[in-house]
Amino acid sequence: MIAPSPRSGDATSAAGRGLGALSERHTRIVALLGRRLIQIPFVLLAVSVLTFWLIQLVPGDPGRNALGQYATAAQVHAWDVSNGLTGPVVTRYLRWLHGFFTGHWGTSFVYAVPSRPLILGHLLNSALLGLYAFVLMVTVSLVLGSVQAYREGRRADRAITISLMSLSSVPEFVVGVVLLIVFAVWLRAVPIQSGADATGNFAQRIHVMTLPAIVLAVSYLAVITRMVRTGTAGAITAAFHRTAVLKGLPAPVIVRRHVARNALIPTLSLLGIYFGGLLGGSAIVETLFNYPGLGALMVIAAERKDVVLLTDGVMVTGVIALLALLLTDVCLILMDPRIRFENTGS
Amino acid sequence: MDFLSQGLPEAVTSLPVPGSAVPESAVTDEAAAGADEGTETAGTGAGWRRWRALLRRPTFVISAVVMLWWVGAALTWRLFGLNPYTNTGHLLAAPSWSQPFGTDDLGRSVFARTLAGADSALAVGPLGAAFATVLGSALGVIAGYFRGWVDTVFMRVFDVLVVLPPLIFLIVVVGAFGASTPALIVIIGVVFAPGIARIIRAAILAEMGKKYVTTAKVQGESAIRIMATELVPNVAPTIIIQATLSLAAAILMTATLSFLGLGAQPPSPDWGLAINDNRAFIESAWWTVLFPAAAVASLVVATHLIADNLKEVWA
Repeated sequence: MIAPSPRSGDATSAAGRGLGALSERHTRIVALLGRRLIQIPFVLLAVSVLTFWLIQLVPGDPGRNALGQYATAAQVHAWDVSNGLTGPVVTRYLRWLHGFFTGHWGTSFVYAVPSRPLILGHLLNSALLGLYAFVLMVTVSLVLGSVQAYREGRRADRAITISLMSLSSVPEFVVGVVLLIVFAVWLRAVPIQSGADATGNFAQRIHVMTLPAIVLAVSYLAVITRMVRTGTAGAITAAFHRTAVLKGLPAPVIVRRHVARNALIPTLSLLGIYFGGLLGGSAIVETLFNYPGLGALMVIAAERKDVVLLTDGVMVTGVIALLALLLTDVCLILMDPRIRFENTGS
Repeated sequence: MDFLSQGLPEAVTSLPVPGSAVPESAVTDEAAAGADEGTETAGTGAGWRRWRALLRRPTFVISAVVMLWWVGAALTWRLFGLNPYTNTGHLLAAPSWSQPFGTDDLGRSVFARTLAGADSALAVGPLGAAFATVLGSALGVIAGYFRGWVDTVFMRVFDVLVVLPPLIFLIVVVGAFGASTPALIVIIGVVFAPGIARIIRAAILAEMGKKYVTTAKVQGESAIRIMATELVPNVAPTIIIQATLSLAAAILMTATLSFLGLGAQPPSPDWGLAINDNRAFIESAWWTVLFPAAAVASLVVATHLIADNLKEVWA
């Protein structure tokens, strides 16, 4: 992690340090961003073709579903035409793609409202919940991971590892159900349904979102804590840490300047991926708590065969996943251990 | 300042490396043997020792017992006269001697339904995981062996497939092809295969640099023969561990789909479905939700722990 890279020749030359290294780092970010920005539209296009084609296979007649069983065949046909559900699949795909990029996302059958505000509204709810879960997850895993690293090989270390590992393999909806039974049914600390009053004031919102956020955070906790533990253990066993201790630096300074910085590098890249995943919403947690997020919306769309809502929603999820990937790459380069090593070690 | 007293060198060597899917030590040992005598996988002696090592681990034994219990329940619940569909006449009765897990809103015995639910939980998982493992390993071995454009094409396709979160992808595919057992087996196989293929490919790439592969090539063995009889036995531990992990994931995914209302349909005693159906009664009758939840958790955790133990003994 902090081992000197093969660039040993540069370590002696002044050009490799300071501003020189910085500018090199920036060109690398630009190069990577450029490569990704070229790549992303293609991946997205492939995803959209796949999604559109798969959703075309969804059985059922959307026009019939929307208008009910008493509508005449002519009415159903007229409805299909007005919703762009007629013609060959390629034409429909191109029309949908054009609409998607110009902001005309079509009308949801189930909710009978334009799908764009519907999806974006639910996405915002999901993102809020995800952000809350992310904050919980980062805080708890930092504490647990560093406790483990400083107690490596002892009972506390093993206990935390074992409990987190078993907790992370328990299905999300089981964790949710158990927490609901304990906190909502037995202790009556939180409401059973999070959907109804998720739009209230801030304190109320936090109160309602706490249980779903905990469930979301728990499933990621084991991996991140593991990363923090490994990173911290690597930092406190490194020679520079021993030097810092031996030269009598106060513990808070050592932790802040020497341990934390080095320990967080491997964790950050992982956090980027999970952050994206959390923002996109979780179908399971949102369904369990009746939280009005994008994941729950997708489940309803799939259940009720709302092809417009499903296609648009899946595309939005794909965009978020790709942006998260991009964010991760940028984080990785910004945190490049080699640059960090030269800047702080010189 | 107790971290001063920590022995620095020992701590360095005992540092675990997360996410190292390639079992370094096992592979290199076998490869060293294989370099001289062609492919000789670990003999029966070594295999026996590994089994004994596994059986000495309490978590493995407990997980195996839990797993066998649910497999037994799935295969034999009909023989014990359990009836998960009939009304006992007591609606939402609390757990008691006659009804150990209580009854649900239709008066059905939760005990019978929980045991019978193992059938539904294990209907898709094993075959789906087997399909995913075979497909993923084949693709991974081919991509890792040939590299070049084959590798590039595979990896680009996988990139597209892994962009969407697996559950969202699964929801769309299940919407398109339905949630019958054969459809679910194929879908799970296709959804999990890319992840397995990536890991197997990485393991194969590590193997390709070893001498026994070069020897086999120089001997004029065909590509198929090298892949099937030289490479696959040497990455077998990785494949088996991936198979176990995908079994756990497959069981979890089918339960999740039923929980979301997209998998098994009523009156199936499926655990995920039971949790979803009885959520409305969670305040008055927690037992209708808690027992199926405990069942699915025990099965998934047991499978995970088995995979973990295999990883530690083999890798």
